[in-house]
Amino acid sequence: MTRNIKEKIYLLIVFAFTLIAVIPLISVISYVFLQGISAINWDFFTRLPVPFGDPGGGMGNAIVGTFIVVGLACVVGLPIGIFGGIWLALYGNNKKGFVIRYAADVLSSIPTIVIGIFAYVLIVLVMKRFSALAGGFALGIIMIPTVTRTTEEMVKMVPRTLFEAGLALGLPEWKVIMRIIFRTAWSGIFTGIMLSVARITGETAPLLFTAFNSMYWNFAVDQPTATMTVQIYNYAISPFAQWHAKAWAGSLTLMFIVLGVTLLVRKFSRRVHYG
Amino acid sequence: MDDTLLKAPDPVSCSDLSERMSAHKVNAWFYEKQALHGISMKIYDKKVSAIIGPSGCGKSTFIRCLNRMHETVPGATMKGSIFLDGKDILSKKDVASLRRVVGMVFQKPTPFPTMTVYDNVAAGIKLFGRISEQKLDRVVEQSLRRAALWEEVKDLLDKPGMGLSGGQQQRLCIARALAIEPEVILLDEPCSALDPISTAKIEELIHELKRNYTIVIVTHNMQQAARVADYTGFFLLGEMIEFDVTSKIFTNPRDKRTEDYITGRFG
Repeated sequence: MTRNIKEKIYLLIVFAFTLIAVIPLISVISYVFLQGISAINWDFFTRLPVPFGDPGGGMGNAIVGTFIVVGLACVVGLPIGIFGGIWLALYGNNKKGFVIRYAADVLSSIPTIVIGIFAYVLIVLVMKRFSALAGGFALGIIMIPTVTRTTEEMVKMVPRTLFEAGLALGLPEWKVIMRIIFRTAWSGIFTGIMLSVARITGETAPLLFTAFNSMYWNFAVDQPTATMTVQIYNYAISPFAQWHAKAWAGSLTLMFIVLGVTLLVRKFSRRVHYG
Repeated sequence: MDDTLLKAPDPVSCSDLSERMSAHKVNAWFYEKQALHGISMKIYDKKVSAIIGPSGCGKSTFIRCLNRMHETVPGATMKGSIFLDGKDILSKKDVASLRRVVGMVFQKPTPFPTMTVYDNVAAGIKLFGRISEQKLDRVVEQSLRRAALWEEVKDLLDKPGMGLSGGQQQRLCIARALAIEPEVILLDEPCSALDPISTAKIEELIHELKRNYTIVIVTHNMQQAARVADYTGFFLLGEMIEFDVTSKIFTNPRDKRTEDYITGRFG
């Protein structure tokens, strides 16, 4: 066999497997789209759920609820994740750093439902009710390891020379870190944050017994709150075709939100060149 | 050897000669490895002092001691004393204010990647305290002019600093260092990453700057030292072998090792 033919066969194999890898993605997206699109209308985004049998209704409260819970998760997860990552990158080259890094890795491998139980015990039982706060707390904890490790990696990629250049200007160390190092690493850190936001937006298990669910509009963080994933779950396990259609529509909406976040990441993750 | 060095070398013209900084028996380590062995040296006001020597001889380590950058590296320590205007800088708690008097430019151009040309020059001032916009504009222009870069970048002030050529980036870093109005400027092989034309521009700039600033330059280019420096010190294996008026170092060195290095027998 000539080298040329070998090369062609090799390319063909690579191409075939790439195609196979893309098939599930395309089929999931198109299937959800076909199933969900029929139940999507303006009401779906703006109205409350209605009891079975009544026509119309939507999951407006769950869409808002998802944003509230994810927002709370960011309040919990981002400061810890970002500052932890900066610390690990700049001062974590020792035993303490090793322990923290290891803890973050272990945390990221804990099943999310376990973290849900943790939030349940710590917040729901203490407050004696389900709340968006508990849901946000659980999702925030899930965010921490990803945000920590991406922040660490991104800050580490900033060359030490920039740190020294800042210090040589007579700037205090914390200013060099926050205004020069952090800003240089920011686009990469932002990518990590958005990817972890996309991930927690799709979480269901930890919300089942933290944020719980609600059939009404709710903007108070200490009250049970509907979220899209839990609403989809409830609709999907119901025996009614009408609700199944809503579950598909909810899935489609969720998919587009996550897709939107991912596209946002693409736009922002232009690499900074360090020269 | 230390004691002979502490006596000032014969100045060419001694009338305007005053001591700005001096190092006394400076030792420096990276973890266990000693990088400097009892360096003593004087740095004269508004003169250019060059430090030459083969790679790894400790010349960069030494000037990084002069603004206490050395100790920022993990595992790096130093002992001895370094005086600036008669005060020991090593006992100073406020390292930041030392570095605002003793500025530094590094081997590789290091513009801040997220900042424009303007913000790069302004960084040292803007991040330090409040300043009016007009005043900042003035300082930025003045610094860029002093760094002989103004004409080339005056229309590019809001463009990223990384977009400039290597030589321009290095002059941008010099402008950035000048903007905080230091009195001593440490140049750590400022031309080693630059082409000959950019190098010539920086050397010309050094000649200009020494009217107002005291300059210490590390270089492994001997011709460069000969061209720009009033005084030259020769380092070898972490020791200062000889320090003297540049012309003397290059024409009539006292030490055999200096002569060997100058004439290219090693290094």
